[in-house]
Amino acid sequence: MTVTSATGTMRIVRPRRVIRRSEAKWTWLLVGVIAAILLIWEAAVSWLQLIPASFLPPPSAIAVSFGKLLVDPEFWGAFGYSLGNVAIGLVIAVVVGVTVGLAVGWSPVLRFTVAPFLWLLYSTPKVALAPLFILGLGLGSESKIALVFLLAVFPIILNTMEGAVTVSTSLVNAGRVYGVNGVALGWKIIVPATLPYSLSGIQRGAALGFTGEVLGEFLGGTGGLGHMLEYAAYQFQMDDAIAMVIVMVIIANLTLLLISTLRRRLAPWYDDRKIAGAS
Amino acid sequence: MTTTSIERNEAGAPLISVRDLSVSYDVARTGKRLTAIEGVDLDVHEGEFITVLGPSGCGKTTFMNVVAGLVKPTTGTVLVGGSPVTGPGPDRAVVFQDYALLPWRTVFDNVKFGLEMQKELKGAGWRERVQEAIELVGLAGFEQSYPRELSGGMQQRVGLARAVVAEPRILLMDEPLGAVDALTREVMRDEIEKLMAATGKTVLFITHSIEEAILLGDRIVVFKSHPGAIKEIIETGLERPRSERSIQHDPRFLELRDHLWDALQGEATAAAVSK
Repeated sequence: MTVTSATGTMRIVRPRRVIRRSEAKWTWLLVGVIAAILLIWEAAVSWLQLIPASFLPPPSAIAVSFGKLLVDPEFWGAFGYSLGNVAIGLVIAVVVGVTVGLAVGWSPVLRFTVAPFLWLLYSTPKVALAPLFILGLGLGSESKIALVFLLAVFPIILNTMEGAVTVSTSLVNAGRVYGVNGVALGWKIIVPATLPYSLSGIQRGAALGFTGEVLGEFLGGTGGLGHMLEYAAYQFQMDDAIAMVIVMVIIANLTLLLISTLRRRLAPWYDDRKIAGAS
Repeated sequence: MTTTSIERNEAGAPLISVRDLSVSYDVARTGKRLTAIEGVDLDVHEGEFITVLGPSGCGKTTFMNVVAGLVKPTTGTVLVGGSPVTGPGPDRAVVFQDYALLPWRTVFDNVKFGLEMQKELKGAGWRERVQEAIELVGLAGFEQSYPRELSGGMQQRVGLARAVVAEPRILLMDEPLGAVDALTREVMRDEIEKLMAATGKTVLFITHSIEEAILLGDRIVVFKSHPGAIKEIIETGLERPRSERSIQHDPRFLELRDHLWDALQGEATAAAVSK
């Protein structure tokens, strides 16, 4: 799509809105499907009583629980506790992950010595270490932050590393030809070229980190959303438990949305489709 | 066919002087030593437009990278303005085959990159210089566009503007039109011809297109492969200004084209066989 600007030159305008409009149709279809599922669910539990409500509460009961949660100060306390831990763990993971990723990606020596261990650790089921963390760091925030960090840091390191390795030689050459050397080469060429990869790693890391937080609270915690969920589940208050799960789904998706918005803002030059294959 | 010597009968010291230049690498995979170029001698005078013609893999890009200061010679010397090349410098700018624009910068900031590491930037009027360079390559109105919003031909115009903005003495162009579509390529050849005739810059232009080599060059340096070396140097002797259209039926153009065609045909076959 092109428009003629005041100076009469052709400008290129991204046809974003056109895509949005055709997507709207699918959004309505999705809304319809969800409504149908909720209706069948409600009918099966409340009206036909095919499933006992104590086992699977109907959507109406969950909605009531959800509404109660939103005005419950205890819930907001847990919300703040969990998100605070996730935020602290994630910030540490970003700082460590981006630094280590850049260093390993840029230095061939580190790449051959350190990278294999990073892949090994990445593929280790770190969730299995959760009880150890709780044993070592206690039931408080520390063990949760450590878990968030441990789960989030590897996708960030590996994505950043991949980004730094794949910086095109001709970009580096262009930098050298125009007088960019040493630290400036890293700052002006390597870091910006790697940024979209890092942000993509941070997005994955955030999702995993949130899982780590909930898991940590579940296994041994004194507060937070995971702790509340565990409590509700063991009390067999299934409507409360499912409402909590919905809250977590919403938080996780809002986090992903926030980071992808950040990515578009910080790296508007980067085509999302190009990074889809990079993990 | 007149083949001239490496030294042109012209007064004054050459701007670029290459003597017995060889570059070889150790290939890690096979453990063998690969000779990219061997025994290259060439003198280029101020204001000359040299086209370097050869089949792919003949080392012509390696040769240009040595002059650019990106690759160190294994043996031999390269002098620019009388002093040996030890690395890249502001007297030489490069136009890359794959454009090598910074995707996170706008057209304006990409062109600015050509002078931001130099003291020129600190002086007043750098904005005007960047703007001038953008207008010179016909990209006025696209200052705030990102490279990915531009066609290949337009991206290479940005590459060209970035190269000329700091007014280097020497322009090194590595198959700058190689990745551009055929129609745009013809238009841009004519534009480069005009631009360089107007600025009088010394140019080393790498290409594998015979027509391009003749249209643009004062002299054509023909490379052979395995190992890469200069096969011959030919003075084009065509009147300037030239254009794609004006030289098409010039007998000299046809003579040169036939000669180069034969020379490259043999090279391309040799290259194919040795692989």
